[in-house]
Amino acid sequence: MRPWPEAGRGGAAAAMAMAEKFDSLEEHLEKFVENIRQLGIIVSDFQPSSQTGLNQKLNFMVTGLQDIDKCRQQLHDISVPLEVFEYIDQGRNPQLYTKECLERALAKNEQVKGKIDTMKKFKSLLIQELTKVFPEDMAKYKAIRGEDPPP
Amino acid sequence: MENFSALFGAAEPPPAAAAALGFGPAKPPGAGAAPPPAAAAAPPPGEDAARKAAAGPFYLLRELPGTTELTGSTNLITHYNLEHAYNKFCGKKVKEKLSNFLPDLPGMIDLPGSHDSSSLRSLIEKPPICGSSFTPLTGAMLTGFRLHAGPLPEQCRLMHIQPPKKKNKHKHKQSRTQDPVPPETPSDSDHKKKKKKKEEDPERKRKKKEKKKKKNRHSPEHPGVGSSQASSSLR
Repeated sequence: MRPWPEAGRGGAAAAMAMAEKFDSLEEHLEKFVENIRQLGIIVSDFQPSSQTGLNQKLNFMVTGLQDIDKCRQQLHDISVPLEVFEYIDQGRNPQLYTKECLERALAKNEQVKGKIDTMKKFKSLLIQELTKVFPEDMAKYKAIRGEDPPP
Repeated sequence: MENFSALFGAAEPPPAAAAALGFGPAKPPGAGAAPPPAAAAAPPPGEDAARKAAAGPFYLLRELPGTTELTGSTNLITHYNLEHAYNKFCGKKVKEKLSNFLPDLPGMIDLPGSHDSSSLRSLIEKPPICGSSFTPLTGAMLTGFRLHAGPLPEQCRLMHIQPPKKKNKHKHKQSRTQDPVPPETPSDSDHKKKKKKKEEDPERKRKKKEKKKKKNRHSPEHPGVGSSQASSSLR
């Protein structure tokens, strides 16, 4: 899932538009699934009088697929990571994927921050100690490097 | 300090020594490669000396990499405004099952897709071959959907009831009024479903109790057996 950009006014409007598109697709999918479920009820214990209803449901299945296909054009830029499908295929909540992504990102962020902070401390300690032992050379080094950027 | 500079200062003699070793005029004149390397050996020491004069003892010093605003030391979740998402997903407990995410979807969706070949992965790897357009079914096509009256055989009942929810009593009754008898599937979960259905049926519960009582009477560990044996012996 792509990280969301800074939520300004334009971002909020885009989010609303995206939510509407998702709502539309969700509504069509729910109707389609409900139609299929009712179709299954009719078929499981079929009566001759149910034939008309069955035909109606079958045609609604086709129109339902048409509606879902129309929704596809509005959402062509949405990317779904394949790993989510693994969760769904295992019968697991796909929100767990999002949760684990965020947790992994945070853990890696903390790990890298720790490395950066440690390296900065090491650098300052090293310069400090080298300055004690080689003050003139370290003065030349600092003159070459210029001012170090603030940590 | 003197040793530090001396270390880097000691680098000067080796180039001259190298020139004396490999590229000096002492080599036989037949070696055509000798004069050009000897000629080439002369400028580099001069260039090195010029560089050293500029850089001092730090001739191995490289340029620092460019600085960027976004590094691993910044909190990326805050940077990308994902705090709300983080609190939503990681602050609360997210339920494990797919049916918790899609409570209204009928069927046993918590089962793995590989069990009933309904996996999304198989759909991606082997997409179904179909036409590009959706045409409504005509009357002639619909004649193919004329079905025989009557219930489906148990083996063909593939439609599942909705996943069980917490309020079993009310919804169980509602589902019975709306749906037909819960079908059995030909999948591997038949035994589990049969066990669950058997447990739910009150008549079967009574039968189970009666069976248990009978078993307990006839088991050798039961004290009642001794009495039965005694009774048989008395006969």
